[in-house]
Amino acid sequence: MQLVDRYLQAVKFWLPRSEKNDIIAELAEDLRSQIEDRESEVGRKLSDADVEAILKRCGPPMAVAGRYLPQRYLIGPALFPIYRVVIRSLVFYFLLPWLLLWTGISIFSPDFRADHPGAALFASLEPWWLACTYSLFLNTLVFALLDRSGLRAHMVDDWNPRSLPAIRDPNHISRAGTVIELTVAVATLTLWVQLDAYRRMFHALGVTITLSSRWPYFFWALVLLSLAGIGLAGFNLLNPRWTRFSASLRLGVDVYTWGLVFWIFRANLLQSLNASSLSSSEAIEAVRSLNIWLANSALWVVAIGVVVLAFDVRRILRVPPTK
Amino acid sequence: MSQSTQADERFENLRQELRRGSLPLAVLAALRTEHYGYTLRKTLADQGMAIDEGTLYPLLRRLETQGLLVSQWREEDKRNKRFYRLSPDGKSILKQLLTEWKSIHASLEDIFHDI
Repeated sequence: MQLVDRYLQAVKFWLPRSEKNDIIAELAEDLRSQIEDRESEVGRKLSDADVEAILKRCGPPMAVAGRYLPQRYLIGPALFPIYRVVIRSLVFYFLLPWLLLWTGISIFSPDFRADHPGAALFASLEPWWLACTYSLFLNTLVFALLDRSGLRAHMVDDWNPRSLPAIRDPNHISRAGTVIELTVAVATLTLWVQLDAYRRMFHALGVTITLSSRWPYFFWALVLLSLAGIGLAGFNLLNPRWTRFSASLRLGVDVYTWGLVFWIFRANLLQSLNASSLSSSEAIEAVRSLNIWLANSALWVVAIGVVVLAFDVRRILRVPPTK
Repeated sequence: MSQSTQADERFENLRQELRRGSLPLAVLAALRTEHYGYTLRKTLADQGMAIDEGTLYPLLRRLETQGLLVSQWREEDKRNKRFYRLSPDGKSILKQLLTEWKSIHASLEDIFHDI
């Protein structure tokens, strides 16, 4: 019977104080009756193994005790779907990109590895861990409080079918978005040409900036990009639904855009800097630092570019093929 | 996990779900006669409604809290046992539930007629 007593003690631990003794007395009576019945069947006292089998069938102590407790939850079923969306967005659009970027920097940046050698490399993840802990904890806390406040009724229970969002068509291209895209592309092209950006030397606020000899390639590349943007926006204005063709065009333009931005960041485009307030050695150091900073930041460009291109590929896969 | 195991598990889950809904009715009906937990379990099991102790006792407490059962600790065979029986409210609810059950049963029979 020692096994039974140990089992009952384990169940008792999880029960509410006011009902502990009552529940345990009843459960004990049931288990003893089961054991007696079994002993009459087999005609002998039960071994520990037999009792163990009865207790195992009865279930783990915590689960047995749990059935006596009212169903409770931290975030109820009404708010849980929103909570899930928020947590998923947090993980996929913030924490995971951060981790991937950190991995990328750790692998590809010798400067970063030199600054954080050995175990210090993993210690440099500390802000990420803190962000994980705080963001998940705070979100859970906010939702748990919302669930217990009157706001939940306002947010979830007071609803009207008429206030539901319109049916979403993922293949529809927003006209407003296309107009904005077209305006930006035209404005960039106009500004680019008006600024005479083809030249390599710029003067502003007493500072003279000289760009590398590769700059003109970038000038023409951006002109081409603006023209492609204008073409795509014009096409989308006339055909405001994604097709495999237009979605592939969008992917092409985005590959070109992000490739160009990556190249800009990595190309050491700044050649020299002249300013009356800077000595020549300071100017050389400033140019070097700026180029290194841009080169190191290229990984951000890769991270953002990969996300954008993943959306583009998803769009192509989503669009039904033209019959 | 093999396909047959998955199918068995699916069937078992649905079977339990189906039986779970009818347990309160079976318990209320059985408690027209006074029982303590263990004999109630045996009575139900003998009639094909086996119910484990982890399900029965919390259910009995819930039904008692709702005023559908009354209970009393009493000594029998030199052991203290808690005896349950239907309360007057329980009797009236049982009647209503039985009507509902018969209506569900009739509807299901109609739905099943060509299976």
